Amino acid sequence: MKASIEWLEEYSDIDVDSVKLGDILTMTGSKVETIEQKGNDIKNVVVGKILEIKKHEDSDHLVVTQVDLGNEKVQIVTGADNIKEGDIVPIAKDGSELPGGVKIKKGLLRGKESCGMIFSVGELGLTVTDYPGQIENGIMILDKSLEKELGKDIVEVLNLKEDIIDFEITPNRPDCLSIEGLGREVAVSLGKEFKNPRKNIDEMKVEDKKEIEGLRVDITAPDLCYRYIARVVKNVKIAPSPEWMRRRLKACGVRSINNIVDITNYVMLEMGQPMHAFDINSIEGKHITVRRAKNGEKITTLDEQERELDENNLVIADEKKAVAIAGVMGGLNSEIENDTQTVVFESAVFYGGSVRKTAKKVGLRTEASSRFEKGLSSENALRAVNRAVELVELIGAGEVVEGKIDVYPTKQKINKIKLDVDKINNLLGTNIEKQDMINILEQLDIKVENDIAIAPYFRMDLEFVADLAEEILRIYGYDKLETTLIKADTTLGIRNKEQKIEKAIKEVLVNSGLSEIYTYGFVSEKDLEKSKINEELIKKSITIMNPLSDEYKLMRPTTVPSMMQTLAINANKKNQNAKLFDVSRNYRNINNEVQNGEVPLQENILTIGMYGDDVDFYTLKGLMENVLETVNVNRYDVVKETKNESYHPGRCANIKVGTDVIATLGEVHPEVLMNYDIPKRAYLLEANITKIVKYSKANKKYVEVPKFPAVERDIAMIVDESVEVGQIEKIITKKSKKLLESVKLFDIYRDDKIGEGKKSVAYSLIFRDKNKTLSDDEINTIMNNVITELEKNLGAELRKA
Amino acid sequence: MKEEILKIEEASQNSIKECEDIKLLNELKVKNKKKKGELTAVLRTMGKLSPEERPVIGSLVNQVRDKLTLLFEQKEKELQKKELLKKLETENIDVTEPSKKITLGSLHPITQIINEVEEIFLGMGYEIADGPEVEKAIYNFDKLNTPPDHPARDIQDTFYITEDILLRSQTSPVQARVMENQKPPIKIICPGAVYRSDSVDATHSPVFHQVEGLVVDKDISMTDLKGTLEMFAKKCLGENTKIRFRPHHFPFTEPSAEADVSCFVCGGKGCRVCKGEGWIELLGCGMVHPNVLKNCGIDPEEYSGFAFGFGVERIAMAKFGIEDMRLLFENDVRFLKQF
Repeated sequence: MKASIEWLEEYSDIDVDSVKLGDILTMTGSKVETIEQKGNDIKNVVVGKILEIKKHEDSDHLVVTQVDLGNEKVQIVTGADNIKEGDIVPIAKDGSELPGGVKIKKGLLRGKESCGMIFSVGELGLTVTDYPGQIENGIMILDKSLEKELGKDIVEVLNLKEDIIDFEITPNRPDCLSIEGLGREVAVSLGKEFKNPRKNIDEMKVEDKKEIEGLRVDITAPDLCYRYIARVVKNVKIAPSPEWMRRRLKACGVRSINNIVDITNYVMLEMGQPMHAFDINSIEGKHITVRRAKNGEKITTLDEQERELDENNLVIADEKKAVAIAGVMGGLNSEIENDTQTVVFESAVFYGGSVRKTAKKVGLRTEASSRFEKGLSSENALRAVNRAVELVELIGAGEVVEGKIDVYPTKQKINKIKLDVDKINNLLGTNIEKQDMINILEQLDIKVENDIAIAPYFRMDLEFVADLAEEILRIYGYDKLETTLIKADTTLGIRNKEQKIEKAIKEVLVNSGLSEIYTYGFVSEKDLEKSKINEELIKKSITIMNPLSDEYKLMRPTTVPSMMQTLAINANKKNQNAKLFDVSRNYRNINNEVQNGEVPLQENILTIGMYGDDVDFYTLKGLMENVLETVNVNRYDVVKETKNESYHPGRCANIKVGTDVIATLGEVHPEVLMNYDIPKRAYLLEANITKIVKYSKANKKYVEVPKFPAVERDIAMIVDESVEVGQIEKIITKKSKKLLESVKLFDIYRDDKIGEGKKSVAYSLIFRDKNKTLSDDEINTIMNNVITELEKNLGAELRKA
Repeated sequence: MKEEILKIEEASQNSIKECEDIKLLNELKVKNKKKKGELTAVLRTMGKLSPEERPVIGSLVNQVRDKLTLLFEQKEKELQKKELLKKLETENIDVTEPSKKITLGSLHPITQIINEVEEIFLGMGYEIADGPEVEKAIYNFDKLNTPPDHPARDIQDTFYITEDILLRSQTSPVQARVMENQKPPIKIICPGAVYRSDSVDATHSPVFHQVEGLVVDKDISMTDLKGTLEMFAKKCLGENTKIRFRPHHFPFTEPSAEADVSCFVCGGKGCRVCKGEGWIELLGCGMVHPNVLKNCGIDPEEYSGFAFGFGVERIAMAKFGIEDMRLLFENDVRFLKQF
């Protein structure tokens, strides 16, 4: 909300400059966004009189003028053609400045000295609307009466100096979307008296009538329209509004149209109540009905756009058609025309929620709708319409007809709140005296009677003691609040198991050289296809109703596409290596939770993505083993996975605890790499942190350091390629019983001698009994069992050392 | 015979002194100890001596032997030391050559800030709470005193899944969930991702991160809120940080405030980060609105509380000097490695 200091001064004395005023108001709750100081950018521009105009000898379009600046005469060369001798014009002298940082200096124009510039309305930062009668592309010709001001500063003569503050008004304070409301805030904040220039309006009594000039009003949707007041003006003379009004409208950023429309806008700015004016003759049957729109009903609004409505929208209608979308915009069919004779001023209050929805539906957010949607006072509506007709009389725009039509089905409730001094001080942590509280409240027009605070009609936001506390505090001063620490029982600040595990996992990965990434949860259908996510999973994606773009349409059912995209970005930037991880969520609509109004499954997922010179499947596997060891998940199997299409079918595995898959890892499928233009092999891992937490054992247990010596045996064998070393290890472990301390694969090779489709593997086994030294016989028995089993089950062929 | 012994002594002493090689010294030592050694030879002739002379000569031989042994030892140490020095000289290295190290990775700047915030509040006895990102509208709005027609639902342009399910636009729904399930005292912070319908540019992102805090107990006051935030600001942004409250409005708190901190880049003198104002808008906060407490099953007559919330990216960007928010989500390894 923009307000000029000049207008605010009508409500309060202001004895500080606008910057200081802005600071003070910011600290009492009206935050300043910008301060515009108009006129400061115009320097050394004066009133001049053109004495003589001569053609420039060396130019077809230039003229040489002699100008009287009061105490001096100068020569100025110009290309303008709308000046004549004797005209009074603004002159930018040598060394002057114009809006937009334009600097004017003495110079030669085709050989003739020019000591400045004569210029147009636009070059002064003004518009033709501000100065009717001026032309757009020509010199601004000033009134003859200014001849006595020759040589004087144009900023003073035309009164161009103006400070305008733009305030950020919070949605609970629609009353401050008005100069009156801001004026009240200024007065309270500066500790001045609020001068109420509208006292006559407050006290005005206007007779209620059923019908004025044949006009009648009915409300058929009282749930959406709380009050509708109409007053009529006849013998209207449509004309430009006076300079002072245009000027104030402009300061608030509103364009001047004509006197009647300007009055509606002026009252809205002054009092915060949007108004509407229309031609009585455009109202069929002179009968206004405030009703719900019919489904599919159409109306062309003042901006010449056709809008389609439904029964949730409220319209102002005559007997045949809608003439306005209530609270949003008037209809073109009832617009004020230059020949309009009788005007109806409408001041109404609509249910804010409905206006908000309607404005959204038709895609029109207007000055009016943005005020209505916050909930306006029905009491203020009457003041506004009376003020409007007062202005009509004041500027002689027409003849006001006695009486008002006032349909007021739901009387505005006035809120009363107990002034509980202790509660307020406890809530704020202050020691403000009761009388001080009352003084502040009364300055804000909140009357206190018998410890009951009565909210004024324009403060519908005040409902609770907490609201009073805020009012008191903001005037008392937020900066006077002390700082204390909570005096209460000690509470335990500790991470829960999942949070601890998540933190530990991140630490292991960072210490292993991985960098953490953050990705968006959004994906597109195309992303899911590029990553070859299986269809069943794609079906579980959650669709956003109003996405930013197709690219961000779905909530990902898996984190794979996000990681693939990040790898692709890095590959595209020619980064030779990338080792990345991400802890974030997937989102899965498993059983139509979303459609049933329930929260869908959202699991905490660790994703690792890597490519580069020193990584392969086993690097990734080792990383995950370290992660699991760190968080105490000790019993798991690594099982080959061939069906997950995002991965290389021969290089993918699941990590399982029992039958529960806690992680999938492997080399990215070459087709997926191609889809993402990644030129190197890449590796991917997805692990479910929630499951890891479930299988994480609480504590590590100390195992006694061995006292008896170990026995080491090596074993080498030839097996078919199809045999997984995991199978061999399982047999070794099983047959060695509890005496096996460790089994380690130390060699694996293939050559012609062994034959195609076969491989040689060699293990080092360490045996130990924690109670005694093992004998050779014992070990030999075990080794024989192991070998027999390997031969029997896997067709292993033992190699002699 | 005595002369003979002394002669042997002198000869041996000389050869030890002159020896400069540990190998030769060892040979000499062996030679001396051997049964055929010169002193042994002397001892063998002792039988020829008179009984009076025998102990005298015997003792002399022992003295000489001890003396030589000592000399050997000394010489040996001396030569070993020399040898070591020679070896050390050959093992000289250039300490400025590149190191051999395991390359470390890095935590994302957002995580680093969240961790820092968590540590501060854990230390003050807060728990960390978590909740769904795809959330019910009732938790994101209704319970937080923002009913369906409330204009605040417009301010935060929200992504909807259905009319009732949305992407949380703030982490406050976590607060509502905790209040519903836990009796006061409640002291929590809720860090996490939130979603708003903003297009991606240098200062906006449809996904960003917030940390919100909530305290509900008996006699919680606004000065407690200010004190808590001041403590947080000092620990997170520097001991000299000052805090300033300005009135504001949020549907879920009353009174509400915006808190500014003295610029932690320039210390309040005015710079690019604080746009010359000396203050940076840090967070929104206030006393929990009585309707919110009521909606979550807590009696506002008995309990009061405060809440606050701020954006993590903004702090990360100001602290690390990152000027474009997009860098945080692009994840270029050359960017990530710097943290």
